[in-house]
Amino acid sequence: MPGVLLLLIAGGRDSPRAAPAAAAVRGRVEIRNPVASPEPRPGIGDLGVDPAYQPSVDTRRAVVYLETAPQPAFEEGGEMHATMRQEHETFVPHVLAIRVGTVVDFPNGDPFFHNVFSLSKTRPFDLGRYARGHSKAIRFDEPGIVRVFCDIHSHMSAFILVFAHRFFAVTDDQGRYRIDRVPPGTYTMTAWYEGVARQSRTFTVPDEGGTVDVDFSLR
Amino acid sequence: MKGIVRRNRAPSPRLRAFARSPIFLIVPACACLLLAAFAGPVTAQSLPTAPITTAGGRLTIGGDASASISPSDEYYFDYSDYNYNLLRQVRADAAAALRLGNRLALLGDLRVEGPVGKGPWTLRPYALFARIRPWPQRAFDVQAGLIPPVFGAFSRRAYGPDNPLIGFPLAYQYLTSLRPDALPASADDLLRMRGRGWLTRYPVGSTTADHGVPLIDGLHYETGVEVHAGNDPIEVSAAVTAGSMSAPRVTGAGSGAQVSGRFAYRPAPWLALGVSAARGIFVSSSVTDALGAAAQQSSNDQRALGFDAECSHGYWLVRTEGVLSSWRLPALRAPFLDAPLRAFGVDVEGRYRIRPGLYAALRVDHLGFSRVAGSAGELPWDAPVRRIEAGAGYSLQRNILMKIAYQYNWRDSEYNRTSGLVSAQLLFWF
Repeated sequence: MPGVLLLLIAGGRDSPRAAPAAAAVRGRVEIRNPVASPEPRPGIGDLGVDPAYQPSVDTRRAVVYLETAPQPAFEEGGEMHATMRQEHETFVPHVLAIRVGTVVDFPNGDPFFHNVFSLSKTRPFDLGRYARGHSKAIRFDEPGIVRVFCDIHSHMSAFILVFAHRFFAVTDDQGRYRIDRVPPGTYTMTAWYEGVARQSRTFTVPDEGGTVDVDFSLR
Repeated sequence: MKGIVRRNRAPSPRLRAFARSPIFLIVPACACLLLAAFAGPVTAQSLPTAPITTAGGRLTIGGDASASISPSDEYYFDYSDYNYNLLRQVRADAAAALRLGNRLALLGDLRVEGPVGKGPWTLRPYALFARIRPWPQRAFDVQAGLIPPVFGAFSRRAYGPDNPLIGFPLAYQYLTSLRPDALPASADDLLRMRGRGWLTRYPVGSTTADHGVPLIDGLHYETGVEVHAGNDPIEVSAAVTAGSMSAPRVTGAGSGAQVSGRFAYRPAPWLALGVSAARGIFVSSSVTDALGAAAQQSSNDQRALGFDAECSHGYWLVRTEGVLSSWRLPALRAPFLDAPLRAFGVDVEGRYRIRPGLYAALRVDHLGFSRVAGSAGELPWDAPVRRIEAGAGYSLQRNILMKIAYQYNWRDSEYNRTSGLVSAQLLFWF
């Protein structure tokens, strides 16, 4: 899967024309078989359970992105920050999409330790244990998919998708998305969901710009 | 043809000796570990990484499987009450939790395990209990059935990635010379079995040679009822179970009950402290019944006090646990065993995460025994043991862990004094 993101190349199938009128690409991603909220392993060794723990991982989000993008999109830079919090033994957000070069903060909001780590080839890291009110940060310099876990709480997991360009979006809780300022051209757009489903669609942004609708239905 | 076809020859004694030596395992295991560590993390997440959830989220199924290998433990430092070496075993667990509303859950763990090489395989329920929460919003639980022990800390985290090494702490695993079904009639009988916990024989009760028991049985859960109250920072637990910590029993029939309790306090996220106490009937009723009134009037119990602490920050995790156990046995013949037999086990364990997926760990362990007076003088009633185990673990995948460890044991006895063992383990969990 990370390979998909690494294959980003400059230019659409048809190179964008000289006088672009950028369009908004929008649509809806329907998820037919949503992934269940992760449950803790059966607590055979537990003497009791924490009544405050109510698993509520938002697993409805998909990520849509252009497989190819115009050359200038790769040159847009600047210091970017994002945050993935640790709250109630979950990562919030559960899916985070960022650009290469983004620094992600991992603040701990729980009254106990977490130990955020990833063994992903894209960006392996281990933040160690730290308490509430503290935060550590990681900069992501390579495009790809980073699976994030907690070493203490095995049911905690999240995804960070790192893109080399800005043409991507995370769907809202209705499955809708919108990507602005897409130059004219023909593109392939992919919808990705939890590493278990993905679908690609080809569409064209006309020279006059406007709005292009691209919907997905993931099984 | 006669000149071409050769009969297979048996390996030379030198080759056989090499195959049994630690080097035979150390070299390939180290090579694998180094290769894995420096080849970069593996990204494939093709195996399940999370428990399976079904029945509308009410049923959760998890599991783990491990295979451990080491040279033969000829001096029985790592033998368990299964009659095989804990460093040479294959084990698989399937655990399930079924939530029936917000007040009741059923939990179970089915375990199959067997030794590497020849030996018996067992399939048994490791845990099987109901968890009842009378008031859903209050941190108060009642658990009944084959339940996790209240005492100490290691029993509840003995398997899986929670054990950074492969061996167990001595207090939970090392076989002392005491047996619940056979008794020494005198101090001399007991002292004759010093350092021979893997196969002891006494004149009272069962006269068949069999293994002794550890201070705490870290391989079996207990049968009974427990209550647990509180949440961070204070938790209190108490249990009534069958048997004793050394020898838990499936039923209380004829064996008496054990009362145990635990108080845990977490003053800060980086520090967890616990104290435990237990008292239960140790000597089997078959023995006390046979001895008659003399045994019935005397004590035949096991008492224990324990402490445990866990301290962690950043890439460090340090744990320590101590157990003071005493057994009172019927005094039958001179020289009498009229004082409680005491044993103290303490271990300190540390883990440091070197880089993503790779850690190093060390455990230092000691098991000491009180002295008793025999005809030939005063000696610890069992041979004191010390152990150092150092190792490393590397996650080939988030839930596939490879460990390698080297363990060195000292026993203060006339024979089988020291033993060095290298071991490796592959562990998968979901």
